Amino acid sequence: MTTPAADLLRRLGEEDIHPDLPETTAGTVRLDARADGRTEHWYLTIADQRVAVTRSTAEADLVVRADRAVLDRIAAGTLHPAAALGRNDLTVRGDIRLFMMLRRLFPGPPGARHPRDVAAATRRRP
Amino acid sequence: MRQERVQVMAGNAFAISDAQGDMEVDPRAPVGLFSFDTRFLAHWVLRVDGERLNALSRDDMTYFETRFFLVPGTASHYVDADVSVIRHRSLDDSFNEKIIVLNHSADPADMTVRMDIGSDFGDAADIGRPRERRVEVTAVPEHRQLRLRYRRERFDRETIVSSTAPVEVDERGMTFRIRVPPRGQWETDLHICMIVRGEAGHDMRADLETHQLHVRRDMRDDLRAWLDRAPTLVAENGALAGAYERCLTDLAALRYEPLSSTRRVTVGGLPWAMTLYGRDILVTCLQTLPFTPELAPVALRLLALLQGGRLDDIHEEEPGKILTQLRYGEAAAFGEEPTTLYYGAADTTPLFVVLLDEYERWSGDVALVRELRHPARMALDWIDEYGASTGDGYVRYQRRNAHQGRLNQCWKDSPDAITDRNGWQPGFPRATCEVQGYAYDAKLRGARLAREFWGDPAYADRLEREAAELKRRFNEDFWLPERGYYALALGPDGEPVDALTSNVGHLLWSGIVPEDRAGTVADHLVGPDLFSGWGVRTLAAGQRVYNPVGSHLGAVWPWDNAVIAAGLRRYRCDRAAARIAQGMFDMAERVGGAVPEVIAGYPRTLTKYPVQLPTAGRPQAWSSGGLLMLLATVLGLVPCGENLLVNPALPEGFGRIELLDVPGRWGHADAYGRDRAAGVRGHRPRLR
Repeated sequence: MTTPAADLLRRLGEEDIHPDLPETTAGTVRLDARADGRTEHWYLTIADQRVAVTRSTAEADLVVRADRAVLDRIAAGTLHPAAALGRNDLTVRGDIRLFMMLRRLFPGPPGARHPRDVAAATRRRP
Repeated sequence: MRQERVQVMAGNAFAISDAQGDMEVDPRAPVGLFSFDTRFLAHWVLRVDGERLNALSRDDMTYFETRFFLVPGTASHYVDADVSVIRHRSLDDSFNEKIIVLNHSADPADMTVRMDIGSDFGDAADIGRPRERRVEVTAVPEHRQLRLRYRRERFDRETIVSSTAPVEVDERGMTFRIRVPPRGQWETDLHICMIVRGEAGHDMRADLETHQLHVRRDMRDDLRAWLDRAPTLVAENGALAGAYERCLTDLAALRYEPLSSTRRVTVGGLPWAMTLYGRDILVTCLQTLPFTPELAPVALRLLALLQGGRLDDIHEEEPGKILTQLRYGEAAAFGEEPTTLYYGAADTTPLFVVLLDEYERWSGDVALVRELRHPARMALDWIDEYGASTGDGYVRYQRRNAHQGRLNQCWKDSPDAITDRNGWQPGFPRATCEVQGYAYDAKLRGARLAREFWGDPAYADRLEREAAELKRRFNEDFWLPERGYYALALGPDGEPVDALTSNVGHLLWSGIVPEDRAGTVADHLVGPDLFSGWGVRTLAAGQRVYNPVGSHLGAVWPWDNAVIAAGLRRYRCDRAAARIAQGMFDMAERVGGAVPEVIAGYPRTLTKYPVQLPTAGRPQAWSSGGLLMLLATVLGLVPCGENLLVNPALPEGFGRIELLDVPGRWGHADAYGRDRAAGVRGHRPRLR
């Protein structure tokens, strides 16, 4: 099945190294995505700036649950993971520090600008 | 007339009431019971036989516990009551109020005790704009409970009020019809549970492993142990000792346990900033290293965890940037404020590196420096990649969230704070001077960490070259030779903003000022335009925009003064530093209680008394920390290799002081000092 969340997770597993992740971050995360009365499970193993992605229902250091639509919006960058947590659209159980790190693996909102581009655009304007 | 406010606090929870213990909504102040940025009780009013109560006295036992002694009736008539009431209030994870009704007469007394109860589930960040929320209220008399609940989509908050004594419950409160025996008493415990619901209706916090580890601490023991761990101050001057203990206690009160940590960090302060503020926490940790060093590693780890990882215009996030504000409330969760994780600050990221290095100098905690190599490196990379946005090497800010973002992303964050002498404000992106000092300092400190602990001498060399270049160019571009001080800021094309401000003192603290200019800068700082007699004004008098009650246009901030005094001592301007310390301690003594966030900039000679601003909060972590930093500064406490260096330069009137058991890599060390007057007392011939 292809959804933004599934695509992102597949890509995460294929990428070699995630330089944004500290070398000291390690742990397991299970994402439970609910849709149409069933739940899909994704299992992430994070170590040495690498993320291995499999499908498993095993216990993990952190379990994140949400509707698949919520995870899709996060994967598309249109919903902030911390806001989703604050709204209770997403729940976490276990080591929430891994959730804060996981946040970095999701893309930012589409169209976000580099401060340098904003500065250049402002200065071009008379 | 302004009502007196009484507060209890614990973590990020707090309750503010009037002097009788009652709480009623006031759009100007966050009155009520709050936790995790939500007001769980907005209305809490006690009556006996239909009458409000009058306060006789109060015992503020600790920061989390208060007793009110009350009698029915108002203050306007003579009080000779047969009945008195004690409200004993305490706060930990829940709010507890024991109500005791005493009958002083020889006859039994029948009474109706009524507590009106309501909540609006207001957002702590949005008190000034109260809005209607549909609150579901359920009276559950069989459980002696009143439940109030607010739901918006899956966002779910609930207040549960329970009574231990039999009670009639209706949707607006609880009624006790009691008979109190002659010279007897009646009591009930009202327990208020504040629930933040997560999956399947469970309290979200209880589901988190970090909070599962949280056992209810014995808070009194905890406070005693906190005070015991801090150095002991022995001072001839009693006011000094009092202020010292007060600041330590206020810092204890301002610790909270965030969701993603099992150890406590400091919030900004009461009442507006009872949450994590990146700048405030970094400054507070820097100020308190000689006293309460346990705060720093927790803060550094938490800020590293929350470090920016991507570009996000709404939250002003960039990879490597250090957070400035985090809130848990409804406005943040639903994007009405960008504060779920807000990064709009140009100074937090360099200050993160400064704190990591300074903490190691005091503690010798090399393991933490190694653990945080990656975030520190990301922070250093941020300075040039995202901070220096116009390519001239200066760290600048310009909001990308045009509706909700902070206009000024430095500590002087009010909209009109960055101005020249006549009120002209530069365009964006702006580079304020103190941020360049922090960036310079961060590069030098980063170089030391890279060389000594990260095994990366090439990177250390590069950082040192960049720092030297930054210092050289800064001293050309920001220096105003005709005025003899540094510009407050540069506009987008390098145009200087020429106001004389307290920011120049921060430059001394960071060490970016050449030796031969330090004296001139110091003269400005303690000259009549900047120095009010209590402290250094944010902006000097005599300029068109000066306003003694403007937060950043003339008012005096204790934290600002602490940093400036430290900067003055760095350049051996000891007398100037001592004047500031003396003014600040005098201010704290006269104001009494917790050190306020800010006071007005009126000349001391004019008002004789520090004028407080109504919006100024207290306690504030970086104000309480500021007084401690001033103490360390006049004692001249500096870590030097494995030793604590002590080089006192005390203001007159401090007398003899001993600071015992200063913790650090040396174990514990003592510091002694005496002011000049004390040193010569008895030797100087007296003139009669």
